[in-house]
Amino acid sequence: MGFDVQFGWSGTITVVMLGATKTDGGTRRISYRIGGGKTLPFLEKTPDSSAPLIAFEICDDPQNWSPIVRNYCGDKANDCGEWAKSADSVYGADMVRLYLTSTRQRNFSDIASLGKTVDAVLSSTSLPLIIEGSNEPKIDSDVFLKCGEAGEGERMLLGTAEAGRYRSIAAAAMAYNHAVIAQSPIDVNLAKQLNILLKEIGVSRDHIVIDPYTGSLGYGFEYSYSAMERIRFSALKGDADLAMPIICSAIDSLTVKEVREAEPAIQDDIAVQWEFTTGLAAAAAGAEIICVRHPRTIPLLRKAFSNLKAGKVSDGGQ
Amino acid sequence: MRTVTFLPGYRKIEIPRGSTILDAAQRAGLNINVVCGGLGKCGKCIVYVQSGKTSFDYQKYEQFFTRDERARGACLACETTIESDLQVFIPESTLIQEQKILIDGQETAIEFHPSVRKYYVELQPPTLSDPSPDLSRLLWGIQKDGGPVAEKMYVPLEVLREIPAILRHSDWKSTGTVALVPGGYRLVDLQENDTSKRLYGAAVDLGSTTIVVYLWDLVSGKVVGVASNYNRQISCGEDILARVNFARKNGLVKLQALATESINAAITSASNTAGIDREDIYEVVVAGNTIMTHMLLGIDPAYMIAEPYVPVVRRALSVATGRIGISCNPNGGLYVFPAVSDFIGGDIIADILACGMNEKEEISLLIDIGTNFEVVLGNSEWMFSCAGAAGPALEGGEVLFGMRANPGAIEKITIEPGTLNPVYSTINGIKPRGICGSGLIDLLAELICTCVIDRTGRINTGIPNPRIRTSGHFPEYVIAWAAETGIGKDIVITENDVKNLIMSKASVHAACVTLMNQAGITRKEISIIYFSGAFGNYINKKNATIIGLIPEIGIEQIINIGNGAVTGANIALINRRKRKILDDIACRIAYIELNAESSFMDEYTSSTFLPHTDLTLFPMVQKLLDSCRIAKE
Repeated sequence: MGFDVQFGWSGTITVVMLGATKTDGGTRRISYRIGGGKTLPFLEKTPDSSAPLIAFEICDDPQNWSPIVRNYCGDKANDCGEWAKSADSVYGADMVRLYLTSTRQRNFSDIASLGKTVDAVLSSTSLPLIIEGSNEPKIDSDVFLKCGEAGEGERMLLGTAEAGRYRSIAAAAMAYNHAVIAQSPIDVNLAKQLNILLKEIGVSRDHIVIDPYTGSLGYGFEYSYSAMERIRFSALKGDADLAMPIICSAIDSLTVKEVREAEPAIQDDIAVQWEFTTGLAAAAAGAEIICVRHPRTIPLLRKAFSNLKAGKVSDGGQ
Repeated sequence: MRTVTFLPGYRKIEIPRGSTILDAAQRAGLNINVVCGGLGKCGKCIVYVQSGKTSFDYQKYEQFFTRDERARGACLACETTIESDLQVFIPESTLIQEQKILIDGQETAIEFHPSVRKYYVELQPPTLSDPSPDLSRLLWGIQKDGGPVAEKMYVPLEVLREIPAILRHSDWKSTGTVALVPGGYRLVDLQENDTSKRLYGAAVDLGSTTIVVYLWDLVSGKVVGVASNYNRQISCGEDILARVNFARKNGLVKLQALATESINAAITSASNTAGIDREDIYEVVVAGNTIMTHMLLGIDPAYMIAEPYVPVVRRALSVATGRIGISCNPNGGLYVFPAVSDFIGGDIIADILACGMNEKEEISLLIDIGTNFEVVLGNSEWMFSCAGAAGPALEGGEVLFGMRANPGAIEKITIEPGTLNPVYSTINGIKPRGICGSGLIDLLAELICTCVIDRTGRINTGIPNPRIRTSGHFPEYVIAWAAETGIGKDIVITENDVKNLIMSKASVHAACVTLMNQAGITRKEISIIYFSGAFGNYINKKNATIIGLIPEIGIEQIINIGNGAVTGANIALINRRKRKILDDIACRIAYIELNAESSFMDEYTSSTFLPHTDLTLFPMVQKLLDSCRIAKE
């Protein structure tokens, strides 16, 4: 290419390590070093620049999970150990993101069960894990400490810290050496503020992954895209408080009207296309981790990433 | 009709059933504190219904009352409708009280050269051989006494009608008063005999909250009396918007009358102190914000609060005081400062005149924080201005225990690191009743320095200290325990209060940055920050910087000009040349409409952090916060 792909920028995205292999003191078969970029995605032609990671999302209580995914995955969806195993060996994900949806029932109190769930997933896959805790500030502390403890040494990624509630997750992450997802509502300033807050209570920069909050395609994704761009530009221009890898999960993709109301015969296809297009755009904006829920999205994204890396024009996954 | 009796004064008023207690109180002439303009939002208008039937939705306004208050019949005057004859007790705290008003203008050495002068003339009576008319005779006399050229003096009909009788009755010894008005010289009055030593003028700061009057002897050039009181329009709504809405609903007449009444009360009180006759006041110079002056002049401001926000008049105005109802010589002149826009009014032009930034080469930033805030950036060559709503939080409104700067308000506070015990002082040294603006700034700065709150203002409930607790909806910090207060309940600041304060300070800071970006300068190029207004005078400059209310420059480069509006009005009253340049200043200032400035929201969000999301803009604060964090560990 005839131009400077770094545009004179001086910043580097902080490298965050996810997953610990035996040599790192964990039990994963692989660990990732995400971040490290000095320019926009897919512009660096060095052989070691990695494509975005694809994380497959599962949960321990699928009653509110998209029926499209439940139908596709079948019985596995009721056993998160089995589900995680398929994510790894059948669907071909890079990571597994476990949502502890069981904690979202009213008056949930069975904290001990969460440890068992995390253990089960850890033993059924050797991929690095992302764990999403509760939605309820009252039990946050117990939930995060339990998950953190169960996965001690595995360098998991814990979610999700927000400006209104970040202390308990940060405490668990620091106690057991995990990284933290810092989510702010589609705004570069708010993202930076949360990173400063986390830093000030002791979470180091190389343990933070930014979640800029991803609206799905057609439902506000353009705002997310622009927030991600601004975050990345600031980082590359040298703002260390924004120089963290980005994780994107367009969790609404499977519930948008177009997918929900699609003809049954093509509903899967529409769902996959929606997730794929959103995920690809997020990767183009700079996300290092793309989360998906439909297994069929994974190979499509993977192919598109490899085409982009090779400098080929994506054919829309077809 | 229902009869409402207000205790403790037993004031009675008849009012139709279904009216609110607030309506009744206002009709009875009781000034109830209505921060939100009677929308049930601020919880400041608590009254106790002692007998009779009312309707009030307790559940909806639950957060404003303690159980004990409810048991005693507490309700919000603005949201309670009258069903039967009532007895209502109004606690002292609900009434607007005399408050600490900033009277002191800045000491300024301004050349004394007023726009109005008196000339005592002894004329030769006309004869058959000297038959020139009365008027020419009089004007020549004035010219001979050092007054303006006779042909250049305009004489209104009302004065002309008086001339023949006065001249003959006084045996041709009379005193003429000549004023310099925008059209030229004007003979505004003629009196019998020598009254040339009796010439006074009043400089008025017409604030939306307070009114300050300086009474000058325009012969000797000395201040002879000062008086102040609150703007009685407060009973029609705390902020300007509430008042314009009140005017829309109920007409402008009441607001116009309340404005003149408030000015008259202050003028009367100053005249009484000075022992002078109000008839001898020939000039009243008023500096006020655009909406205030429009209301004073009886010009409907209804169109000004909607896009595209244009005032009816921008230039300085001169009218006879008699037409507005100001109690002084009816032929006297009322001079109203020019304005830049709806939101940059004569008070700001007065501030500029007072600090002299329009004559300096170096760049100054002028900030006037009152019920609204205004910011001007510039020097002798250029000036940008903008204005916005900081929300009432910085003045104690929309903060649970916020209050105006009345007796009992905590005005200064520090918090001991470790124990988190506060040390505070109150206005008049009595038991605390709440916190006023300067106290709130201190509190915010102390809470961040002691790590009670994080940079977004969230209280760290993990700190084991009895002063940090969660009661009701929000975590809170206890400033004073019930037993030490004058109101019998714990005085606290809630996380929600802190959030409101941060939003207020963020809008001020974002406005400053927006102007700086407009001018293409950084904080390092600002040589002085002028704080004008009561608020600026009492706040701790260092704490204002710590919380990021203003851009960080050296503390010693922050200057309080005190009540710049009244200082500017004083200058315009006593120096005709300075008055003449006011229209020029007003025309030279570019007004930036923040609503139309796309970057403002971004600046605002980045300012909603303590002190700011971009910490490099606050190196001193950053160092300080780092050191108190280390000290804590």
